[in-house]
Amino acid sequence: MYALVDAVSFYASCEKVFDPSIRNKPVVVLTNNDGCICAACPLARRLGVPKFKPYFQIKHFLAKHNVVVRSSNYELYASLSDKMMNVIGRYCDNQYIYSIDESFLQFKNYHTLIKDWHKYGHEIRRAVWQETRLPVGVGFGSTPTLAKAANHAAKKLPGYNGVAVVNDAASRKEVLSKMTVTDVWGIGSRLGKRLNVLGIATAWDLANQSPKAMRSQFSVVVERTVNELNGIVCLNWDEVKQPKKEIFSTRSFGQRVNESHHLKTALVSHGVIVARKLRQQHSRVKKLAIFAASSPHDENYYNKSIMCEFPVATDNTLYIANAISTAFKSIYANGVNFYRCGVGAIELENSEFQQHDLFSLNEDDPKLMLCYDGINHRYGNDTLQLAAQGRIEKWHMRREFLSPSFTSKWRDIPKISC
Amino acid sequence: MKVIPIYIEAGISGFESPAAEYKELALSLDQLLIAHPDATFIGLAQGQSMQGVGIFDGDLLLVDRSEQVKDGDIIVANYNGCFTCKFIDKKQARLLSASALHQPVSITPEDEFQIEGVVTRSIRLHRPARELSACMR
Repeated sequence: MYALVDAVSFYASCEKVFDPSIRNKPVVVLTNNDGCICAACPLARRLGVPKFKPYFQIKHFLAKHNVVVRSSNYELYASLSDKMMNVIGRYCDNQYIYSIDESFLQFKNYHTLIKDWHKYGHEIRRAVWQETRLPVGVGFGSTPTLAKAANHAAKKLPGYNGVAVVNDAASRKEVLSKMTVTDVWGIGSRLGKRLNVLGIATAWDLANQSPKAMRSQFSVVVERTVNELNGIVCLNWDEVKQPKKEIFSTRSFGQRVNESHHLKTALVSHGVIVARKLRQQHSRVKKLAIFAASSPHDENYYNKSIMCEFPVATDNTLYIANAISTAFKSIYANGVNFYRCGVGAIELENSEFQQHDLFSLNEDDPKLMLCYDGINHRYGNDTLQLAAQGRIEKWHMRREFLSPSFTSKWRDIPKISC
Repeated sequence: MKVIPIYIEAGISGFESPAAEYKELALSLDQLLIAHPDATFIGLAQGQSMQGVGIFDGDLLLVDRSEQVKDGDIIVANYNGCFTCKFIDKKQARLLSASALHQPVSITPEDEFQIEGVVTRSIRLHRPARELSACMR
C-alpha cells in the first residue's frame, strides 16, 4: 500500500498557523515579487479567487471581499514543512518527501498491523492538525498513481472528508470516474487534450484503455499509468523518488530593469541557484536555457531565449556562469524594460553515470564546488558568491505583504496576551 | 552552554584530555525544556494577568500542541482571533487569570475559541535579550 499525504493549500494554511486573526478569513498568497496568486485557502477559493491570476488584475475583487493578501514567506513555509513532514514520518518507516508539502509513504508488511486504512488516515490527519495546525489530505492506493488519485479524492471530491482509500474495484471506479484525465498523475494538459480527442475524458476512461495501444499511440509512460490505474505497480519506489528532470530558476523583477549590468547579474544569480540545485540532486546539465522578457502587458513585448549546450554535461557553477555571461550578449537589447528573466537546466544527466568522449577533458572541479557549497550551507546562501552576481539588490524580491517569520526570527515570535 | 562534568587532570603532557570523549554530555536546554520539538512553538507573554503563576510581561512561553489538555492547565487559546494565555476551566467553559484584577471569562458559542496548546514552560529573562528587544513594546 502507498499513501500520499499533502497539505491543503499549504502556503495559505501556513499563514494561518501563527496568526489566529485570519483563521476564519479568506487568505491568498502571492508568488515572488507579489506577481500572481499562487495559493488560495478553501474560503478564498469559495469566493471564486482564481489561482495564477496576476495580482494587479484582481486587486479590487480581493479588497471588496476582504481577502487577506500575503507575500510568500519561504522561511515560515520551510520551517512548518519540516515539522509537518516529521509528524507524517512517524506513521511509516518509508517516507519520501516529494515536495515542500507532499510526502509519499510506502507500507510494506503493514497489512497485519493496520486493519482499517481509513482510520489510520484520519489518525495521521488528526496528529498533523493537532501538532502543527496544518490541514492535510491523505490518500491510500495500491499503487503510487492510485495513492495520488485517492489524495485528489480526499481533498477535492465531496464526501471524503480528507481521507480516501483506493484499493479495490469498487473504490477505483468510484474515484476514477469522478476525475478528469488531467487530474491523473503524469497526465499534463497537452497530453490531456490529445486523449480527449480520442474520447478519453475521465481517469476511469483512461484506466479502461488497452495498455499496449496507449504505448503505441503515446508512450511507455502512458502505458504504465494505465497499468497503475488498474492496481498494477509499475513505478518502483526509486522511480517515485526520481530526481527532477528539469530545474528552473526564474523570477520577475521588483522593478523593471533596463541596464545591461543589472540583467546580467540577475541571470548569473539564477544560474548559481540552478547549479546548486543540480549538485543537490547529483545531476549535471547538458542543455541550458537562458531567457529574459519584458512584460506581456507592455507595448512592444520583447522575449528572447538562448539555448546553450555544453560539450560535456556539467554541474560547475563557474562554467554555467560563463555560459550565461556569453549568452547574455545576445539576449540583452537596448531600451527594453525587462520584467522577468531566468535560467533553466532542461536536459540533465546523472552525475554518477557520465558519458565522456575520448577527446574532452573533464575539467569540473568537484572539490572546489564541495567547498563552495559547504561554506554557503554553513553560513547561508551567497555568503560566497561570484563577482558576476554583483552586489546589486535591485532584482531582489518585492514582498510588500510579508508576514513575520514566527518560527525563525526571535524578533518575530508570536505574541500571547496574558 | 557546554558544561563538562569531569575534572581535567593537569600535569600529564602528551595525552589527550580525558574529557574529550565525554563531550556529548554537554547539556542542551532544548532537550530539557522541549519534549515535542515538532509540536512546540515559542511565544512572548504580554500582559499582567498571569503574574500569580509567575508569568510576567516579556517572558517566553513554550507551547506544546501535542500535550493532552487537562482541566486547570495553563493553555494558549485562540480567543476571538488572538493568542491568549489563561487557565482553562473545562467544566464551566471559562478562562481564568492568575490575578485578582482579572475576572474569569466565560466562553460563549458566539466566541471564536480553539485551544492552541499547553504552556509547559515559561522562561524569565532577568537581563534583556538583544535578539528579542525588537519585539518588546
